[in-house]
Amino acid sequence: MELGIQPDYMKVLKLDDEECRRRLEFFELTDEDFQRLTSLRSFAERWTQEITEGLYELIMKHAESRSFFPDDATLTRVKRLQNAYFLHLFSGTYDLNYLRDGLRVGSAHERIGMPPKLYLGAYRRYLALIHEKLRNHFKGNEAEAVKAIETIRKIIFFDMALAIDTYIAAYLETMTRHQAAIRELSTPVIKVYDRILLLPIVGTVDTQRANQIMETVLVQVVEQQAKVIIIDIAGVPVVDTKVADHILQTTAAVRLLGAQTVLTGISASVARTVVQLGVELTQVDTRAKLSEGIELALSLVGKKISSKSKSGVENED
Amino acid sequence: MKPLSLPVSADVVAESWEIRIDKEADIIAVRQLVRELTKAHKFDQFATAALATAASELSRNVWVHAKSGQASVRVLRSERVGLELAFVDQGPGIANLELALAGGYSTANSLGLGLSGTRRLVDEFHIETKPGFGTTIVIRKWKRDF
Amino acid sequence: MPSGTIPILKIGSTLLATIQIDLHDTVVDAFQNDVLEEIEKTAASGLIIDISALEAVDSYVARMLANTGKMAKLMGAETVIVGMRPAVAATLVRMGYFMSGIRTALSLQEGLEIQDNRSKDRNAE
Repeated sequence: MELGIQPDYMKVLKLDDEECRRRLEFFELTDEDFQRLTSLRSFAERWTQEITEGLYELIMKHAESRSFFPDDATLTRVKRLQNAYFLHLFSGTYDLNYLRDGLRVGSAHERIGMPPKLYLGAYRRYLALIHEKLRNHFKGNEAEAVKAIETIRKIIFFDMALAIDTYIAAYLETMTRHQAAIRELSTPVIKVYDRILLLPIVGTVDTQRANQIMETVLVQVVEQQAKVIIIDIAGVPVVDTKVADHILQTTAAVRLLGAQTVLTGISASVARTVVQLGVELTQVDTRAKLSEGIELALSLVGKKISSKSKSGVENED
Repeated sequence: MKPLSLPVSADVVAESWEIRIDKEADIIAVRQLVRELTKAHKFDQFATAALATAASELSRNVWVHAKSGQASVRVLRSERVGLELAFVDQGPGIANLELALAGGYSTANSLGLGLSGTRRLVDEFHIETKPGFGTTIVIRKWKRDF
Repeated sequence: MPSGTIPILKIGSTLLATIQIDLHDTVVDAFQNDVLEEIEKTAASGLIIDISALEAVDSYVARMLANTGKMAKLMGAETVIVGMRPAVAATLVRMGYFMSGIRTALSLQEGLEIQDNRSKDRNAE
């Protein structure tokens, strides 16, 4: 369990040694590149401050990007981090630790809410500034300059990929959390009559949702002292063995409490599938239509629906 | 038997207790401690029941089969709060672990240890056992955050 | 008068036992003894066990309840378990204990209704 990075991007992005190697290979980063980077370490130390200043000149020139650096203290701290980042490009080891550091930088920017467009635009300026300095550094040796620029481009793009990954991972995490909240709101247990509850299930039912449905059902049955709960599954798109098992578990728990379940919304294809899969739904009352289920539930509590007598009453239509 | 070492770093453990299991009343002690902790850390009623039940089942196994053992209860804090229960005994061990853990929804085949059932109550279930040496079981359940 | 720590009341021809404490061997033994003695003494035809105070029921307690039901039945009394909490039902099914041999009801009132109907049926025979 990794503390300090929320969430654990290394795990989410499945960044292990194998993945690290694959990425380095795809970005065509070779030992030659690594040696070149290490040999340029003093170049980096010489120019990092000026390059950082050039980068933040762009950032502070535009209102949108400037808004992320509201005060001098923040700006100073961030420039220091930027210098450290530049030096880390020339660190010489490009393993899981290198990845972890890169992720930290990316996630820091994601956390303050800086959108990818600004982040990438800044990287573009960064690259341009580095190229300019490299061209000067290798003045008179065009061939070496070209090789150095190419190496830097590879490592910067490699890092950008990690940064984008953290943005995506963070968005996925938020979506998952929202989905969980939506799920909780989507188990509406309705009282249709004294001691009769109805739960229409709409949407896919995974294990997590099934557990949450069972718990909500049980709490409601006890709170409402319901004798019968009608569970309608017409809105569940796929009913396979797993879903059927979840439903059965809920009906078993309802029975344990001393109440009954009526399962409705069983389509022809669901009926076929359930029997073909060998799922035993014999212990539960089932009906094709919700209306039939309601009639059954009423009879189980000793009531029934009857037509009003027409004697002495005008018909409406 | 050396207790299972599991991949939880020490700075994730917030609170820690040990209870010896030598008599039946100790089963209740373990269960009560678990209940107090789940209440204190605001686990929901289902998680509370699951943990109290698991604690009961595993403590009882220790007392019934090994006559003596140790329960460790730890509160874990990382991204979420979790409860970890460990049960260590130097009892007879479990000869057929696969059989003990099997059993789907029928307890007929499970040698009466209730292990497969207990496993379904928790998020993590780790077991090490050696006939003649003893058994170590560690379980964890994390608090849901929605 | 029951000697154990679980109170047993008589309501008509039904006995009501309310479990509010942690159960272990000596308590269980005393309870089962008391229940059977009371059934014999009062010729009760029904037993209601109220478990609404229990936040968790493990396999030991589940077995105890089922066994008590069987013992009562041998002596002519039908058992109904009432007041099971949602979390208890969930935990039992998740563990795989469906307690199929014993009748349950949501409340004491319903449990008494069931016992009433039973004795009515019985008297009709």
